[in-house]
Amino acid sequence: MKKLLMLTFLFLLSGCNLRTLDPVSETASDQAFLIKLGFWIMMVVVGVVTILFVAFTLKYRETDKNRYDIPKHEEGNRTLEIIWTVLPIILLVCLAIPTVIITYQASNISANPEETVHVNVTGEQFKWTFEYENGKKTHEKLVLPVNRDVIFHLKSKDVIHSFWVPRLAGKKDVIPGTVNKLEVVPNKTGTYQGKCAEFCGILHADMRFTTEVVSQQDFEEWLSSKKK
Amino acid sequence: MNVMEINIFGELLIIPTDVIAAWVLMIIGVPPVLYWITKKRHWPLIWDYATSTNHRKVGTLYIFFSVLFFFRAGIDALLIRLQLATPENQFWVFQGEKYNEIFTTHGTMMIFFVATPLLIGLMNVAVPLQIGANDLAFPFLNLIGLYLFVTGGTIFFLAFFFNAAPNVGWTAYTPLSTEDFTSGPNNNYYIMGLQVSGLGTIFAAINMIVTILRLRAPGLKLTRMPLFPWATLFTSFLILVAFPVLAIALLLLQFDRFYGATFFLGPQGHPVYWQHLFWIFGHPEVYILALPAFGIFSDIISNFSRKNVFGYTSMVLSLALIGLLGLMVWAHHMFTVGLGPFANTFFAITTMMIAVPTGIKIFNWLFTMRRGVIRMQTPMMFALGFIPTFVMGGVTGVMLASAAADMQYHDTYFVVAHFHYVIIGSTIFGAFAGIYYWYPKITGKMLNDKLGKWHFWLFLIGFHLTFFPQHLAGLNGMPRRVYDYTWEDGVFVYNFISTIGAFLMGGSMLFLIWNIYRAHRKKEENVGGDPWDGRTLEWTVPSPSPEHPFEKMPIIDRRDMLWWAKTQDKPIPVEEHPRAIPISTPTVQPMLIAAALFILSFGFIYHWIWVQVVGGILVLVFFVNRAFKDERIPAYEKEESEDEY
Ligand code: HEM
Ligand SMILES: [Cu+2]
Ligand SMILES: [Cu+2]
Repeated sequence: MKKLLMLTFLFLLSGCNLRTLDPVSETASDQAFLIKLGFWIMMVVVGVVTILFVAFTLKYRETDKNRYDIPKHEEGNRTLEIIWTVLPIILLVCLAIPTVIITYQASNISANPEETVHVNVTGEQFKWTFEYENGKKTHEKLVLPVNRDVIFHLKSKDVIHSFWVPRLAGKKDVIPGTVNKLEVVPNKTGTYQGKCAEFCGILHADMRFTTEVVSQQDFEEWLSSKKK
Repeated sequence: MNVMEINIFGELLIIPTDVIAAWVLMIIGVPPVLYWITKKRHWPLIWDYATSTNHRKVGTLYIFFSVLFFFRAGIDALLIRLQLATPENQFWVFQGEKYNEIFTTHGTMMIFFVATPLLIGLMNVAVPLQIGANDLAFPFLNLIGLYLFVTGGTIFFLAFFFNAAPNVGWTAYTPLSTEDFTSGPNNNYYIMGLQVSGLGTIFAAINMIVTILRLRAPGLKLTRMPLFPWATLFTSFLILVAFPVLAIALLLLQFDRFYGATFFLGPQGHPVYWQHLFWIFGHPEVYILALPAFGIFSDIISNFSRKNVFGYTSMVLSLALIGLLGLMVWAHHMFTVGLGPFANTFFAITTMMIAVPTGIKIFNWLFTMRRGVIRMQTPMMFALGFIPTFVMGGVTGVMLASAAADMQYHDTYFVVAHFHYVIIGSTIFGAFAGIYYWYPKITGKMLNDKLGKWHFWLFLIGFHLTFFPQHLAGLNGMPRRVYDYTWEDGVFVYNFISTIGAFLMGGSMLFLIWNIYRAHRKKEENVGGDPWDGRTLEWTVPSPSPEHPFEKMPIIDRRDMLWWAKTQDKPIPVEEHPRAIPISTPTVQPMLIAAALFILSFGFIYHWIWVQVVGGILVLVFFVNRAFKDERIPAYEKEESEDEY
């Protein structure tokens, strides 16, 4: 049963059609890499435990033969205990190092004034407002140029929200009284779902938007037009 | 039909139909129960339990009420799953506000009024017996703790009946939970319910610590204790650190809500302060739920493998380490808040470190079974189900600890799957295992093994069906706490399977009820003191455990003393002179104090100043009364005069 589920999990992971594993930016790729790395390292643990678990329960379960046996007292085993202390530490270090590197990268906001597109994102119950540098404002649709640096400045008018476009990057909270920043470089044109990820009240579920990543030329055109 | 309009005294009341259905059910359901109790003449028995300070009776009530709340919160879960069964679903009233109320009551009840008290109940039943104590150190305080839990739970429970259920999640994040955004009584119920029951939990912890440190049988050094008392000891220390933080956070929130303070809002305050306070409590809380379950599993696995616990010392040390590290990881719930990369990586690494002692425990359990004789009876089945289930929850925990990756997982169904794997895997499986295991010690009767196995398998399969697909829903971008999703989201199949699984779990609970009903239907014989061929002291006393089970204290000189005595065919030596016993006399005082707190709480919830005053005075009066009136004094005097002879 459980193995069957595991196999389905593996199958779906390799299929990679899950949004967070199908990234369209460097940031999201790094995060997808961490997800997969974590998954495979942890599969080692699950594998070892499963093997021991199945072996021991099958081999030592009560049968008519051993029913009245009295197992020998066994205090412990120093070597074994050292092994299962040290091995997990090694596995964890393998996960911790990339985690530290990628976490630092994800929070690093580059200051590259020329190229960068700045978008002011305002969350409020229950809609988003995206404001571009030339004053253009949209609500349901976030339009971004491909292959250009985008920095979101996240502000809230009321409660906490969280700005999330799963294929573009992990989420970042939108907190009243604070300005959070998030930087991404979309590298593929297309239309992607955006959502509010922090529970914010009655219509939290409906606080969605679409993200359109378009060519740089189309973007400039769209930005200067009156079209929504 | 979603609402009903009722005209009372010229005032138009608009009441949702789910509330009406609940009232109707209550009105139809309660009288038959009262009639049955009266007809069977059960009132004296109920009164005996309600006023007794005996640890087994208090523990039984803890378990009874937790199971009751488990059904309530479980029904909430089923309603959640019905609403989420298909995309763009409109199930009954459960969209928007109602959905928010229902996942809030589900989560809050499960954590505070099911999981925590269920374990405290089992501690009450088992710990004193396992360490050769006649009762807890402070029996009166114990009964107060029980009443505070039941009162807090009832306050929270009632919110729904007055159409004012809390609606901001079990985490109650500010500023959403402040007066500006959610006015009205709803979230006052959350504050008062948790405040009252939290105090009870603190009392229980103090009691456990003193009992374990002071009342062990002669020769039972700490290092000879079974692992459940050890886990209880560490858990109690965690409670002592964590619950006061919750109490303070709730008090500050109360000031914000009631008196216009601005701790969590405005120029001086900040909403993120709440998150820190909440998770400084909240993360230790999950270990408060896990450690006792670990203790139960250690005892059960050792018992049903007929072997001593493998690596006892490292088992104890890893409990301590998990508890200690558990205090240093709270901000892993806040990776997306923007605390900066240093804080994020720091908390990522401390969190990953917890996996090491946890892994040690897993392997020690496995090696306890190695070379043993594993009896596949219901308690052991739950312990066996626990190992792979909990490991799966643990590994997703490590994945979540990876800070940058968590920015994707955070607040999605991946997290919902993760914490159900760990909480149900440890606490709920542990509580079920413990209930089947100690049921004979509580009642003198055994639960049926076959029905128990039905319960186990249906629950296990239902559980994995419910929660495994949620990992994938989360990875595909489904946020938690949403009442709706679309076809394009591509999460329908996961959700549909999940709903089926939830009903399997619900169905499995019927086997437990049937099992308990069956055990008590006919006057079966008493199963005797030691039905499982046990190893620890609780199996040396009769079942159900009597009032003063260790009148003559056993003298202990090793671990698993009972097992040693059995294999050597020697009796356990006893101390001739009894030790002073915590006196257990029936008392109604805790009931009265709880009633006064109940009144006080409703005064706060609805801002009725006069009710607050009356409730406050009553509480104070009962405190003062208690200070001067100790019902144990006659008992102590009697004992002293007896000693003179
Ligand atoms: C009968 C089995 C259960 C089912 C089917 C179930 C289902 C769910 C679902 C679907 C959610 C997510 C709601 C949402 O985010 O919209 C949820 C939330 C939650 N559940 Fe359960 N659950 C079950 C048992 C438990 C147990 C035993 C516990 C703990 C002891 C628990 C604790 C929680 C908590 C703390 C939340 C979070 C609530 C919040 O977001 O504020 N659940 N449950
Ligand atoms: Cu939201
Ligand atoms: Cu935590």
